[in-house]
Amino acid sequence: MSQQVWKLVIVAEEILSKKLTKLIKEAGATGYTVNAAGGEGSRNVRSTGEPSVSHTLSNVKIEVLTGTRELADKITHEIEAKYYTDYSIITYIYPVEALRDHKF
Amino acid sequence: MTDFLPLFIEQLQSPTLGFLIGGIVVAALGSQLAIPDSIYKFISFFLLMKIGLTGGIAIRNSNFSEIILPALGAVGIGIVIVLISRYTLGKLPGIKVPDAVATGGLFGAVSGSTLAAVLPQLDSAKVPYEAWTAALYPFMDIPALVAAIVMASLYIGKKTGNTSEKVEIWPIIKESLQSSAVTAMLLGVALGILTKPEPVYESFFNPLFRGFLAVLMIIMGMEAAQRMNELRKVAQWFAIYAFIAPIVHGFLGFGVGLILHKLTGFSIGGSVVLAVIAASSSDISGPPTLRAGIPSANPSAYIGASTAIGTPVAIAICIPLFIGIAEVMLGR
Repeated sequence: MSQQVWKLVIVAEEILSKKLTKLIKEAGATGYTVNAAGGEGSRNVRSTGEPSVSHTLSNVKIEVLTGTRELADKITHEIEAKYYTDYSIITYIYPVEALRDHKF
Repeated sequence: MTDFLPLFIEQLQSPTLGFLIGGIVVAALGSQLAIPDSIYKFISFFLLMKIGLTGGIAIRNSNFSEIILPALGAVGIGIVIVLISRYTLGKLPGIKVPDAVATGGLFGAVSGSTLAAVLPQLDSAKVPYEAWTAALYPFMDIPALVAAIVMASLYIGKKTGNTSEKVEIWPIIKESLQSSAVTAMLLGVALGILTKPEPVYESFFNPLFRGFLAVLMIIMGMEAAQRMNELRKVAQWFAIYAFIAPIVHGFLGFGVGLILHKLTGFSIGGSVVLAVIAASSSDISGPPTLRAGIPSANPSAYIGASTAIGTPVAIAICIPLFIGIAEVMLGR
């Protein structure tokens, strides 16, 4: 059995990683996945390949699966209010099928 | 001056500087040479652990109360550096105050790699110094970061009329103490004082120190060349400031050291260490703390200024400069 759930993806500066995962858990999500990320956006070019002394210029990609669209929106709004002005951060959402439906 | 120049030139030929410039050159030429992040992390841990152990062993065999006045001096220098930046760089046209204060915070904070570079050069030049001087690191590092974040918050609060938000100082101190560099050094100090680490020190940490330092200098050089791109995106004042500031801060540190020399007999070599700690700018622990503490400041400005220009100037100019001055003062 599969279930329709929402996948919220957040690409952000690595130093926000802990704060974002805390926010996600407190909003009520059951879990999340964090990857190292690199790429280019409007603020800067970021890459994970070269040695970076401070890690202030590295990125992470956080994925959250939520059972409802409301929960995903709530997390997005909280992130927007707190971090959009001063940090490199982007969020997007799409519907996916989760194969372990009891989890969400 | 005639005594000073040959000593200065001899210092310039040290391997530390050679590896640093080598790193800058290969990265600027677009070389594919890459040293993995984990190796960088291990080397900085190793170097600060060794510095901590040296300090700890020295403290065990001496009077710890000697450190109190130099530590207070270090705290004062850290705060004054941020004030200098606020009222020089921050007053220039087109420079935002939070950017200037964050840059001051980073330059007031201390670089473990620069500290690691000055100690063996003092040994080579046979300039004696108190081995515990390295333990002054956190006494300058933490007050500078705290001062920068508090000053920026006060400024932003005043500008937006929102003065109700108080800056919490303890989390900043905690974060600085928990940073990898300070933790490694303090752990070394504790192990040096409480245990007898001489066997591992003599067979492992001491013999490998200079080699690892050379590798770290290549990494710092490559990093400097890569961060030049960041610096190009911001006002040129940051580049000019980053070149002058380490030298000015170094003289400030050296001056405080000499006052302590007159008052308490703090050594000339110790004054060199204090000068180089003041000249250095944080490259490991400072940037994330400032990014989180002053979110509105542009990281390209302060990290670019510190890593691309500040650290190379501190290592390449300030270390030979102050060791040269010390050698003249010691009558070589």
